Amino acid sequence: MAVAVKTKETSEVQTEQLMTGCEAIAEAIRLADVDVMAAFPIRPYDTVMQAAAKLIANGKLDCEYIVADGEHSQFEIVKHACAVGSRVFVGSSGVGWFYAFEAIAVTAGLRLPVVAICGNRALDDPGAFGTEHNDSLAVRDLGWLLPWAETAQECLDLALMAWRVGEDARVSLPVAIGLDGGFLTHSQQLVSVPTRAATDAFLPKFDLGDRLLHPDNPITIAPQVDQDWLMEIRRQNDAAMRRAIDVITEAHADFKKLFGRGGDSPFLDEYMTDDADVVFFGQGTLALPMKVAIRRLRAEGHKVGLVRLKWFRPFPTDEVVKSLSRFKAVGVVDRDYSFGSPHYGGVLYNEVRSALYSREQRPTIVGFVAGLGGREIDQSMAREIYEKTAAAATGGLSAGDQCHWIGVRE
Amino acid sequence: MTGIEYRDRLRRQMLPHILCPGCGHGIVLKALLRAARSLELDWDRTVFVAGIGCSSRLVGYIDGCTLHTTHGRALTFATGMKLARPELTVIVITGDGDGLAIGGNHLIHAARRDVDLTCLLLNNETYGMTGGQAAPTAEPGAISTTTPGGARERSFDACALAVAAGASFVARGATSLPLELDGLIARGIAHRGFSFLEIASDCPEYFGRYNQLGRGPEMLQLQRRRLDEVDRTLRAKRSLGSRRAEGPPPLRTGVLHERPA
Repeated sequence: MAVAVKTKETSEVQTEQLMTGCEAIAEAIRLADVDVMAAFPIRPYDTVMQAAAKLIANGKLDCEYIVADGEHSQFEIVKHACAVGSRVFVGSSGVGWFYAFEAIAVTAGLRLPVVAICGNRALDDPGAFGTEHNDSLAVRDLGWLLPWAETAQECLDLALMAWRVGEDARVSLPVAIGLDGGFLTHSQQLVSVPTRAATDAFLPKFDLGDRLLHPDNPITIAPQVDQDWLMEIRRQNDAAMRRAIDVITEAHADFKKLFGRGGDSPFLDEYMTDDADVVFFGQGTLALPMKVAIRRLRAEGHKVGLVRLKWFRPFPTDEVVKSLSRFKAVGVVDRDYSFGSPHYGGVLYNEVRSALYSREQRPTIVGFVAGLGGREIDQSMAREIYEKTAAAATGGLSAGDQCHWIGVRE
Repeated sequence: MTGIEYRDRLRRQMLPHILCPGCGHGIVLKALLRAARSLELDWDRTVFVAGIGCSSRLVGYIDGCTLHTTHGRALTFATGMKLARPELTVIVITGDGDGLAIGGNHLIHAARRDVDLTCLLLNNETYGMTGGQAAPTAEPGAISTTTPGGARERSFDACALAVAAGASFVARGATSLPLELDGLIARGIAHRGFSFLEIASDCPEYFGRYNQLGRGPEMLQLQRRRLDEVDRTLRAKRSLGSRRAEGPPPLRTGVLHERPA
C-alpha cells in the first residue's frame, strides 16, 4: 500500500509519496475522478484493483467498482459504461488480457475511450508471472493507443495523459498503458502526486458529445454495416490514430507546463545520446539496467546512449526516424517475440526497421530478444548487446546475424 | 481408511507445497487420496484436472495423471477428455473463483449435460492466489482486499446451482469433517453422471486474517459451529464476534441430491 514516508510539499500543485507503479495508477484514478471501474484478479495487474478498493473504502474516491466474473465481462462492463458517458478504468495481464480480447477489439472499433493498464506478463503456456510485452502488443493493430511507462511517476503521468488524449473528440480511442510486471507494478518509487485542482486544469470532464448514448440523444452504436460501410468506418479509426500524434503533443506540452515533467519529447526519452555512435532502443523498465550499462561503458570511453520509446501506438515515425538517423548503429531490445517474423526479430525491431526503410541515411539496426518471462537483463547482457551492435556498426551485418537472443542457456 | 501412505501418491520433488499454514486445501487432498484408495481406482486410468488458483494447485502434488489448465476451463478440458476416452475416471479440482466466476458457465453446462465427471469445488470465499480478493461466494459483509468496507453483493449457493442445472449427484463437505469428506468424494466418483461436491475450505492467510476469524484451527472450529444445530440457535441470539454483518450462514453437509444419470 502507498506509504507516505516522505510526504512533503514540492510545490502548490503536487506532493511526493512512495508508491508502486500500480498504486500510482490508483492515484491517477482518484485524481481523474473515474466513474466506473471493473476488476478481476490476475497478477501482476491486481495490485491496482486493491489500491483502488482501498481508496473507495477510505472515502477518497467515489466510483462504481465491480469485481466481474472474468476478464471478458470486466472489459464489457467498462465499455458500455463508457458509451453512456462515464470515465472508466480497467486492466489485466497476460492471458487474462487475452480472455477479454473480444471486448478489447470491439472497444476500439466503437471508438470508446476506455483507459486500461496491461501489467505485462508472459503468456501461458508455460506459466510465468514475469514481464513480456506480447500481451499488450497483441492489440497493436486494433486501434488502441499504447504508451509504455518506465517509472511509477510515469505511470501516474501517462494515466492522466491517457484520459486526456483518449477522450479528446479528435481521437476518441481506448488507451492501454504498459507496465512491466513486477519491475514496475510492484516496486516502490517516489512519486509526485498532483493536487486535484491542478489535475482539473489539465484534464477536462469527459464529454462524448453527440455520441453519448442517452434517452435524450437516441443513437445507435455498434450497428451491423457489412461491406457497405466497414471500410469507411475503419478509415475513421485510421484518421483518429493519425490525429492522436498532435493531440499527444499538445497534452504533453500542457502537462509539462503545469507539472514540469515529461522530458523534451512526448514520444522519446533520450539518455546520453548527444555524442553517441551506438544507442540502445527499447521501452519500459528496460531503460533502468541499460542506463547503468551506458554509464559503465562510457567510463571505458564508448560513445553509447539510449532512446526509449514512450508511445508504441501511434508509432511516432517522424520522431523515431529523426532521432535514430543520427547514430551509426541501433540495438533494438525487444522484451517480446514475433515467431517467424522478418529476420526472426522482435516486434519493436521490425517496426523500427520499417520506419527507417525510406531514409537514405539510416543506421545499422541489430535486433535483440532479451528478458523474456521477467528474466532480468543484467550488466553482462547489456554489454553483449552493446558489443554486437558496435561490431555491426563497423563490420556490417551478415544475413544470418540480424537478430540475437540474449541470455539464453544452451 | 487406515494405513495409507500418502507419500506414495505425492510428487515428492514438488514439496514443500505452496499452500499457506492452516489452509484447508491439504485436508481435501488427503481425503481425495483416501477416497481414491478406498475405491481402488486404477491409477493409470484416473485423471485429475484443475484450473487456476490455490485449489487447482493440488493436482501439481498428485503423483499421477494430472492436467493443470487455464483459469475457469478445467471442466471443458475434462469434458473433452471424457468424450475421447470414456473409460477414464476424470476428477476435476476447482475453486470458487475458478469454478463459479470465470468458469461458471462451464459448470452450468457440465451439469446440464450430466457428463460423467466428478467436480470438487473448494470454497474458501476468496481468490487466495492473487491476494485475497472477494470471490462470488464471499458472504455480504466479508472483508477482502477488494471489499475493505465489507462485501455488498450477495453470494450464491453452488450446490443449489448444480441441482438446478441438472447435476445428478450433488453433495457438500467440509474440511472440519474430513472423514465424512472421504465418503462423499468416494460416492461422487462412484456415481455415474455429473457429480458435484462443494467443499467448505478455509483461507486463514487472507480471508481469516481480514475477517478476524483466527488461524487454521480457529477457522475449523468456526466451521464446526456452522455445522452444529445447537450453536446455530445460539448464534441467532448473539454474535460470534465476527466483523461480518450477521455471522456466517449455517453449513449443511452430506448428499443433497442424487438421481440416476
